[in-house]
Amino acid sequence: MNPILLEAVLVCYAFLLLLVEAFNSRMPRRYFGWAAVVGTTVVFFMTFFVDSSKMNPEAGYYGFYAADTLAILFKRFILLVSVCVLIMAIEFAPVLVRYLPVEKPDAGSGEMYSLVLFACAGMMWMASAQNFVMIFVSVELVTITFYVMVAMMRGNRASLEAGIKFLILGAIATSLNVYGIAWIFGTLGTTELPEIGAILQSIDSSLFPSLLFGFGLIFAGISFKVAAFPFQFWVPDVYQGAPTPVTAFLSVGSKASAFVVLMRVLESMLSNSELSSKILFMLSLVAGVTILMGNLSAIPQTNFKRLLAYSSIAHAGYLLMGAASIVSGNSGPAIAYYLMAYLISNMLAFGVLLVVGKSTGSDELVHFNGLGKKSPWLATALTLAVLSLAGLPFTVGFFGKFFIFSSALQAQQFILVGIGILGIGCGFYYYLKVIRAMFWLPASKEQSISSPIEISKPYAVMLILLSISLIIFGVYPEPIFNLIP
Amino acid sequence: MMIAAIPWILLLSPLVGCVLILFFGRASKLLSSGIGIFCAGLSLLCAWFLWLKGGVVEVPSFPWVDYTSFGKQFRISIGFLLDDLSLPMLVVVTTVAFLVFIYSVGYMAQEEGYWRYFAGLCLFLFSMLGIVVAENFVMMFLFWELVGVSSYILIGHYFRRDSAADAAKQAFTVNRVGDFGFLLGILLIWLYSGTFSFNDLKGKAQVITDAAPWLLTTGLVLVFLGTVGKSAQFPLHVWLPNSMEGPTPVSSLLHAATMVAAGVYMLARIFPALSLSPIALEVVSWVGGITCFLAALMGTQQNDIKRILAYSTISQLGYMVIGISVATASTVAVFHLFTHAFFKCLLFLCAGSVIVGMHHEQDIWKMGSLKNKMPLTFIMMGIGTFALAGVPPFSGYFSKDLILEWAWIKGTPVFWFGAITIALTTFYIFRLFFVVFLGPPRSDEAKHAQESPRVMLLPMLILSILSLTVGWPFIGHFFIQPVHPEHVPLFLRFILIGFLAVGALVAYLLYAKGPLKDPIQVAVFENRFYIDNFYDWLVKEIQGRFAGICAFVDRWVVDGFVKIASGCVWLFGFCLRMLQVGNIQAYAFYFGAGILLIFFLLLSK
Amino acid sequence: MGKWWGVMLEEYLPALVHVVVGIGFAVVALLTNFLLGRAGARSKAKDTPYECGMLPAIEEQPRFSVKFYLVAMLFILFDIEVVFMYPWAVVFREYLEREGVLIFWSMMGFIGILLVAFLYALRKGAMEWSR
Repeated sequence: MNPILLEAVLVCYAFLLLLVEAFNSRMPRRYFGWAAVVGTTVVFFMTFFVDSSKMNPEAGYYGFYAADTLAILFKRFILLVSVCVLIMAIEFAPVLVRYLPVEKPDAGSGEMYSLVLFACAGMMWMASAQNFVMIFVSVELVTITFYVMVAMMRGNRASLEAGIKFLILGAIATSLNVYGIAWIFGTLGTTELPEIGAILQSIDSSLFPSLLFGFGLIFAGISFKVAAFPFQFWVPDVYQGAPTPVTAFLSVGSKASAFVVLMRVLESMLSNSELSSKILFMLSLVAGVTILMGNLSAIPQTNFKRLLAYSSIAHAGYLLMGAASIVSGNSGPAIAYYLMAYLISNMLAFGVLLVVGKSTGSDELVHFNGLGKKSPWLATALTLAVLSLAGLPFTVGFFGKFFIFSSALQAQQFILVGIGILGIGCGFYYYLKVIRAMFWLPASKEQSISSPIEISKPYAVMLILLSISLIIFGVYPEPIFNLIP
Repeated sequence: MMIAAIPWILLLSPLVGCVLILFFGRASKLLSSGIGIFCAGLSLLCAWFLWLKGGVVEVPSFPWVDYTSFGKQFRISIGFLLDDLSLPMLVVVTTVAFLVFIYSVGYMAQEEGYWRYFAGLCLFLFSMLGIVVAENFVMMFLFWELVGVSSYILIGHYFRRDSAADAAKQAFTVNRVGDFGFLLGILLIWLYSGTFSFNDLKGKAQVITDAAPWLLTTGLVLVFLGTVGKSAQFPLHVWLPNSMEGPTPVSSLLHAATMVAAGVYMLARIFPALSLSPIALEVVSWVGGITCFLAALMGTQQNDIKRILAYSTISQLGYMVIGISVATASTVAVFHLFTHAFFKCLLFLCAGSVIVGMHHEQDIWKMGSLKNKMPLTFIMMGIGTFALAGVPPFSGYFSKDLILEWAWIKGTPVFWFGAITIALTTFYIFRLFFVVFLGPPRSDEAKHAQESPRVMLLPMLILSILSLTVGWPFIGHFFIQPVHPEHVPLFLRFILIGFLAVGALVAYLLYAKGPLKDPIQVAVFENRFYIDNFYDWLVKEIQGRFAGICAFVDRWVVDGFVKIASGCVWLFGFCLRMLQVGNIQAYAFYFGAGILLIFFLLLSK
Repeated sequence: MGKWWGVMLEEYLPALVHVVVGIGFAVVALLTNFLLGRAGARSKAKDTPYECGMLPAIEEQPRFSVKFYLVAMLFILFDIEVVFMYPWAVVFREYLEREGVLIFWSMMGFIGILLVAFLYALRKGAMEWSR
C-alpha cells in the first residue's frame, strides 16, 4: 500500500463525516464520534500494511513527502493520540454542549470529531514533511484547526479568550516561520531539506548570517508549537481555557509532531559543523531555561490544568535537552521514547482530569481532595500518571528521562544535566502535591458527594489500557524500543 | 534445573503473597497473616537451602533491556548474583523478616488495615530480596526505589494521623535526594566503564582509575549519596527518627534491621571499586564517623523509647560505614551488619512489647518498674541492651570492636569518634533500660502493664538467642568470616572496655535509682542539634521564598506585565503600542524579545 | 561591495520609485487640501465632519452584523480559490505534456475540498442573511 494513502483516506473520511453531520440533524452526535474513532483505528492498522518499497524518500512525491520508518512511527503515535482524544471528546460532549447556543443544542459538538481528524492528518503530514513548503502547509492545517477547537466552547469566556490568544500569537509564529523559510530559500535557492543538508556541507561562510537569521525565525515558529522558552507564554492560558480533550491533543500531538519537524530541520542544518556549534549552543540554552521556567512556575499552581500546562513546558525542555545532545547519536531514539512515555502518562492524567472536572465543574486542585476515598481507581490511575510524569522508576516515564539524560551525558552536556536534575527535583514537589490532595487532604464541605464519579465503559477501558501500558513499558521497555529506528 | 528455579521462588514468593493479600486479604485477618507468613517462610527455606548447599549458584539471567543500537553496550539483565556476600545476607534478611511477620500477628491484632499492613510487608520483603540478589546497578536501583515505596506505604500506615503521613512523605523525599546522587553516579560509572554489572565492575574500575582517577572518585561519591539517604547518614539522617511513626514491627524490620542496612550492603557490593579510590574512602569514613558520633549524642536526650532506638540505629550504621572505609575487606562491616540486624531487631521488638503492655505509651518517663510486670521482656531487652552496648560475650562486642581495631590500625582520627561513641552508646541504652524497667512506676499505665502474648514473645526469644551467640567466632563464622587485623595492641582492648565502663557507670549513677524526671537536660542534644529545625527553616524559607518568586514571576508575566510591557514596547516601535489592552500584548512583546534573544545567540560572534 | 550595491539598485529601482510615488501622492494630496482649504473662511460649523444633515447623535462607529463578516470571509476564501487557479492555468499545458494528468486531478482535488466546504457552509446556514 502506498503510504500517501494513509492521510488521503483519513481526510476523505473526515470530509464524509463533516457532510453527513451537516445533512443529517437527527442522528445523535456521539455516533459521529464513534465513527471517527473507528476510522482512526482503521487507519492506524493500515500503517502496518504500508508497502516498504514505497517508503524510500527518493521514490517520488517531488521531494515533499518522506515515508521513512521515523515518519511511520510518528504517524502511528499521532493516530493513537487521536483515538484517545476522540474518546475523551465523546465523554466531554455534554460539557461542550452546555456552552453552545441554546436553540440548537447539538450544533457544534459534531464538528469537533471531524476537526480532530483534520488535525490528525495535518500532524501526520508534518511527520513526513521533507520540504519547507510542505512543513508550512501541514503546520498551518494543524494550527488553523486548533484555533477552532480551542475556542469551541463559544459560550465560555475562558475558551474564547484562549482562542483569541492562540490565534494572534499563532499568527505571529506563522509569519515568522514563512519569513524564515523565505530567507533560507533566498540564500540557498531550495526548500528541500535533504538538498539543504547537502549544500550546507560545502558552503561559503559569508552566507552564515543570513542562514542563521532564517533558521532563527523558523526555530521561533517551531518553538511556539513545542512551547519552548521564550515562546511558551501562551501555554498556561490557552491550555486552561481550551476544552480538556483539546488541551490534551495540544499538549501531546501538537508537541510531538512539532518535534519531528524540529528534528528533521536540525538534521539538515547541522550538517555544517560551524553552523551546528552555534545552533547547539542556542538549543542547550533554550532547553535549560525552558526546564527551569516550566518547573519553577508549576510549583505555586493551584489549578491542575494549569499545572499540567507548566509541566508540559518542562517536558518540552527535557525534549529540547535531547535535541541539544544530538551529537551523541542517540538522542533521536531517546526523544521518540520520551514522547511515547509522555503520550501515555499525559493522556492518562488528562483523562482523569476530564472526568473529575466534568463531575465537579472545575479543574482546581482543591476538587481533587479526597478523590482517593471517593473513586479509588481514578485516583490510582492519576497517581500512576503523575508518578510517570515525575519519572519514578517502574513507570514508563522513568525510561524516557533515563534515555534523555544518558544521551545528554554522552554529549557531555553536564550543565544541562544538572539543570535537568534540579527540574526533576522541583517536579517531584508539585506532582506529589496532586497525590497529597487525593489521598491525604479531606474533601471540602460543598463537594462532599461521596458517590464515586461515573464514567462510561469505553472511557474506563481507555484509562485502564493506558495505566497498564504505563506500568508494562515502565518495567519492560523493549517493545517500544524495537519500534524506534 | 531445579536449583536454578529456587532463587526465582525465593524472590517472587513475597510478590505473589502481596498480590494475593491485596485481592483476598480483606476477607479475613487470618488469611492475610497466613499468606504473608507462608510466603516469608517459603523465602526463608529457599534462602537457607541455598546457603547450606554452599558454593556459588549460577542462575541464568534474563535479558531485560538490550540495545546494541543504543550507543555503547546498553545491556541490563535481571539476574542473580549469589555469592559469599549475598547468600548470608539472604539468610539474615529472611530470618529476621520471618520472625517479624510472626510477631506482627500479635502486635497488629487490634489495629486497622491488617491486610494493607501485610501486603506492604510482603512488598517490602520482595524488594529487599531484590536488592540483595541484584546482579547489576540498574536492577539494584529499581529495587532500591521499590524499597522506598514500600517504606513510604508502611510508615504512613496510620495515614489518618498527620504526623505519620508527614513522616512518610519526609522519608520518601529525603531518600530521593540521595537517590538522585546514586542514579547520577551509576550513569557516570556506566558512561566511562560501559558496564552496570557488579562482576565486571572491578576490572573496569581499574581501567577508569588509570584513565581518570577523579572520575571514579566522583562516581563513587555520588553512589555513596545513595547510602547516605537510605542508611540515614549525616546530613540526610533526619527521616529515620520520624519514620518511627510507623507500626513498631515495621520500625524493627525496615528501619533497624534490613532496609537501612541496604546502603551498607551496597557499599560492600561495590567495595572492589571503592577500595581503588582513597579519596572516596576518606569521604565515606568521615561521614560515617560524624554520623556515628552525632547520632549517639542526640540519642542521649530523647524521651521516646522508639526514637532512642532510632538514633542508636543511625549511630550503628555509622559504625558500619566506618567499617567499610577502614578495613581491607567488606566482611568487617557486613559482620556488624549481621549482628546489628539481630540485636536491634530484638530491641525494637522488645520496645514494641513494652508499648503494647503500656497501651501505646512511648514516653520512657511515664514507664518504670516494668521488671516485675513484664519479666520476660525485661530479660530479653537486657540481652539486647548488652549486645548493643558491646559487653564482651554478647555479639555486638565482637563486631564493633573489630571495626575499631581496623580504624586504629589505619590510624585515622575517625577512630576517636568511634571510641567515644562507645561510651555514649552504653550511656543512652542503659539510661533507657534503667528508666523503663527499674525505679518506681511513673504513671497508671506502668502500674497496670501486662506481659505480651506468646506469639510476640517467641520471635523475641529466638532473636535473643541469636543476639547473644552470633558474635561468637565459631557461630559467627558460619555466616561470615571477617578479616582480623594483625598486631592489635592489647591496651586498645582496655581502652575500649574503659569507654564502655565509663558510659555504664554514669548511666547507673544517674538513672538506676529511679528519678522521676531526667536529671540532666542538654537542649542542644534534645533538639537534635537543631538540624531538623534547620531543614524546616530551609524548606520553609528558601523553598517558600523560591515558590513566592515563582508565583511573582507568574503573576508578573501573566497578569501584571501589561504596564511594564507597554513601557518597553515603546522602544520597539509603536505598532505594538496599538494593542494596549489585554495580556496578549505582553505575550507578543515576549515573542519579539525572544526572537531578538535567539538572533543574539545565533548571530553574535 | 560596489558591484553588490549596483545590482541592488538596479533590481530594486522600480520598488523605490513605487515607494516614492506612494509617499509623494499622500503628501501632495494632503498639502493641496490644506492649501486650498485655507482659501475659504473657517467656522466651527465647517470643521464638523458633516456639514449638513443630521447632527451625529451617536459617537460610536455603527456595529456591523456578524453575518457580514461571515459572508466576507467566505467571499475571500472562494476568491482565493480562483486566484490560485490562474497560475495553474498558465502552467497547465506545459505540465500536462511533462507529467500527464496529475496536474488536472490535483486541481480537481482542490476544487473538491472547496466544494465540500461550500456545501457545509450552505447547509449550516452561513449564507442565509435573515435568520
